[in-house]
Amino acid sequence: MNKKLKFFSCIVFLTIFTINIDAAEGGPCKDYGDCDEFNYSLNDIESLQRGASTYLNYCYGCHSLQYSRWGRVATDLKIPEELFFDNLVFDNTIKAGDLMKGAMSKDDSADWFGVAPPDLTLVTRSKGDDWVYTYLRAYYEDSSKQYGVNNLVYPGTAMPNVLVDLQGSQKLVCKDVPVIGKNGGEKRDEAGNTITKEKCGYLKVAEGEGSLSKDEFDNLIYDLTNFLVYVGEPAKAERERIGWYVIFFFVIFTALSSLLYREYQKDYH
Amino acid sequence: MQEKDKTRRKVLIGLTSAVGLSGIPFAATPFIAAWNPSAKAKASGASVKIDVSKMRYGQQIQVAWRKQPVFVVRHTKESLGNLGLSVPKLADPNSDAIEEPYKNLSPTRSQSDEYSVLTGVCTHLGCSPKYYPEVEPKAWDASWSGGFFCPCHGSMFDMVGRVYKGVPAPTNLIVPPHFFDGDILTIGEDKGVA
Amino acid sequence: MNQIFSNIFNWVNHRLPIVNTFERHLSKHPVPKKVNFWYLFGALASVVLIIQIVSGIWLIMPYENTEEGAFASIEYIMRDVDYGWVIRYMHTTGASLFFAVVYLHMFRGLLYGSYQKPRELVWIFGCTIYLAMMAEGFLGYVLPYGQMSYWGAQVIISLFGAIPYVGESLELWVRGDYYISGITVSRFFALHVVALPLVLIALVFLHLVALHEVGAGNPEGVDIEEHLDDDGIPLDSVPFFPYKVLNALVGIGVFMTVFAIIMFFFPEGGGYFIEMANFEEANPLVTPEHIAPVWYYAPYYTMLRAVPDPLGGLIVMGSAVAIFFVVPWLDRSKVASIRYKGIYSKIALAMFAISFITLGYLGTVGVTEVRKIVSLICTVLYFAYFLLMPIYTKFETTKEVPNRL
Repeated sequence: MNKKLKFFSCIVFLTIFTINIDAAEGGPCKDYGDCDEFNYSLNDIESLQRGASTYLNYCYGCHSLQYSRWGRVATDLKIPEELFFDNLVFDNTIKAGDLMKGAMSKDDSADWFGVAPPDLTLVTRSKGDDWVYTYLRAYYEDSSKQYGVNNLVYPGTAMPNVLVDLQGSQKLVCKDVPVIGKNGGEKRDEAGNTITKEKCGYLKVAEGEGSLSKDEFDNLIYDLTNFLVYVGEPAKAERERIGWYVIFFFVIFTALSSLLYREYQKDYH
Repeated sequence: MQEKDKTRRKVLIGLTSAVGLSGIPFAATPFIAAWNPSAKAKASGASVKIDVSKMRYGQQIQVAWRKQPVFVVRHTKESLGNLGLSVPKLADPNSDAIEEPYKNLSPTRSQSDEYSVLTGVCTHLGCSPKYYPEVEPKAWDASWSGGFFCPCHGSMFDMVGRVYKGVPAPTNLIVPPHFFDGDILTIGEDKGVA
Repeated sequence: MNQIFSNIFNWVNHRLPIVNTFERHLSKHPVPKKVNFWYLFGALASVVLIIQIVSGIWLIMPYENTEEGAFASIEYIMRDVDYGWVIRYMHTTGASLFFAVVYLHMFRGLLYGSYQKPRELVWIFGCTIYLAMMAEGFLGYVLPYGQMSYWGAQVIISLFGAIPYVGESLELWVRGDYYISGITVSRFFALHVVALPLVLIALVFLHLVALHEVGAGNPEGVDIEEHLDDDGIPLDSVPFFPYKVLNALVGIGVFMTVFAIIMFFFPEGGGYFIEMANFEEANPLVTPEHIAPVWYYAPYYTMLRAVPDPLGGLIVMGSAVAIFFVVPWLDRSKVASIRYKGIYSKIALAMFAISFITLGYLGTVGVTEVRKIVSLICTVLYFAYFLLMPIYTKFETTKEVPNRL
């Protein structure tokens, strides 16, 4: 047993060693660095409701949610249908069973923006929740671009900064940051003071310009991303809920069949 | 083998089988449920709403509901009055032979005294009968007092869709569930018979 | 009541060999009495096959096999069909677990010399099943018609183009069009849904018949047929039913727990079971930054990329799969099981396992100079395991295999 254990642990060690060859490369959040972490909470119905409201007020004008149905959003988000249709649906020919096909024609929008604003039903699944959450907060002023803005997460984006009134505009600034030595610690000079270096590419919001504070804006984007996670897979919350029961069933079944097997094993052992 | 062991085996077999078999209905549920009408089917099977206030008297319009034609007729006082004339020719003037949703509410067979709402599917083999409101002799009935004539096999119905005697069609045209809310007629559901 | 049932049963049994078959293949079929968990993966593979067929049939019902409708029909299944998402995830989880189980099943074969005489044909049918599975998986992945479906198909079909002389015509013929289109999707649909499943079922049947003809092996590599009792039944065996069936049941319980954990909590498998790019509809004008196949093709994809020449890469990749077929003749050892083989076999198998896993990892990440070198080294090690086998198995010192289990 000892020999076998040594043997297998050798294999595991060698495998892990070879696997960690030359790790790290350009990440999905590009110039921003690592995407900010986003943890969804699909059981927070109020967050989803706020997110839906933000989406329908700010985003739906250009971005369709073509695989999602109006009525289902109202039901899943526990919004009474009448309230939903009165306040969040801006077209009275729309019926509950209709798909959320969008307010702009694809041909027109391709003309106006150069590229048609993509459908966003699955954006959190194809790009990642983290990516969406970070992208929406990474706009900054850039006079060289068509709408005067650029985005660290998606450099050269054709989308204008729709939420600038809420966030306020951001600029890229330079900061003095500590120099990190080879051992991971901060480098210090003889007097024990931290050595700093100027590093650029940080985002800084113009204070008081937006109608929301930084925290309020981050919460808004959290709710919006949360809503998009929901729209990406409406069955997600139910799936995770049912999953526990299924696993429980199989654990019980395994335990019982194990007892039964051992009982019969007595016949030949 | 000892008796105790035999019992133990039986118990274990029983328990394991019980647990295992109890999982089958749960496992089957998604497969059976997947055959239910999907959200798409429910959406296209949903009720249709139309504004009937602009209809002329004596006009018939046709709307689609669940891929079937539905006739909406706005009767003139005259044609309503003429309904009695056709009764001797009818097989089932009181709609006793079928499921009549709004029986005895109104001569129009609907929830309104002015409009009739009829499924435009001939009860013979499913063709769409044509609307002939004029009171004049026709090739299929010398004493025609207005109604529907089906071109496929010659079935005849009166102005409120009641079937004639001696024609291929066995029963009156079906009245779908519907209700009126002011000028808006909703076909496909009703809010309970008044 | 019992009498009536008995009479009906006898009438049928007289005309269809129910009792006979049950005894021959289940209640009286002798299997080695002592095997380990490595021997469960065959049964698990059959379970997954059934899961794939049932979930697959239900997926065909709402699926639209056209260029315009395919992607949207998947979302239709996920949202509008009641519990459609259960069936979809069942199928995607099953696909990945099918390969995981089969790889472990094949590894058992290498560990315990299951391919040795008289089981060579069982092994060959098995390798053919593996080949069919690779085709089946590829065809299936194209059907949702996402970005990775499209571009993965683009890469694989262009491999046909690497074949000299007939390459370009073959590529056009496989696609049925000048570029991947709805024509390609609908023919892949027919192959994935009807043709290959029929082939797979036939091959699995042959695989099992061949196995039952010669009997299962065991981790000791002992031939249980050498010691029989007075009735001609191997002393070291137990009847398959109920003993091995109960064993399999436990294995299935554990397996289904894992299946459920993945299906209900990690169906995308961190982007390895359902790739993120596949949540975007196929766009011939935009190539994804990273074209990676699903994880189970990754080792071969690495080999393909490691060789600079397209035809060379195709040949290396093809040989890597083909070489499995001839293992029964490469292994010259008198001993079947790794437990009794010499040190060289043990090292070789370990190196093979490490290279295979490393090749797999490298197939899922981008190419760098260092990774290219490692890929080449691992490819060489992979082939060395097979090509040197006639030498190291013949000349190494083996241990004495026991007589009995």
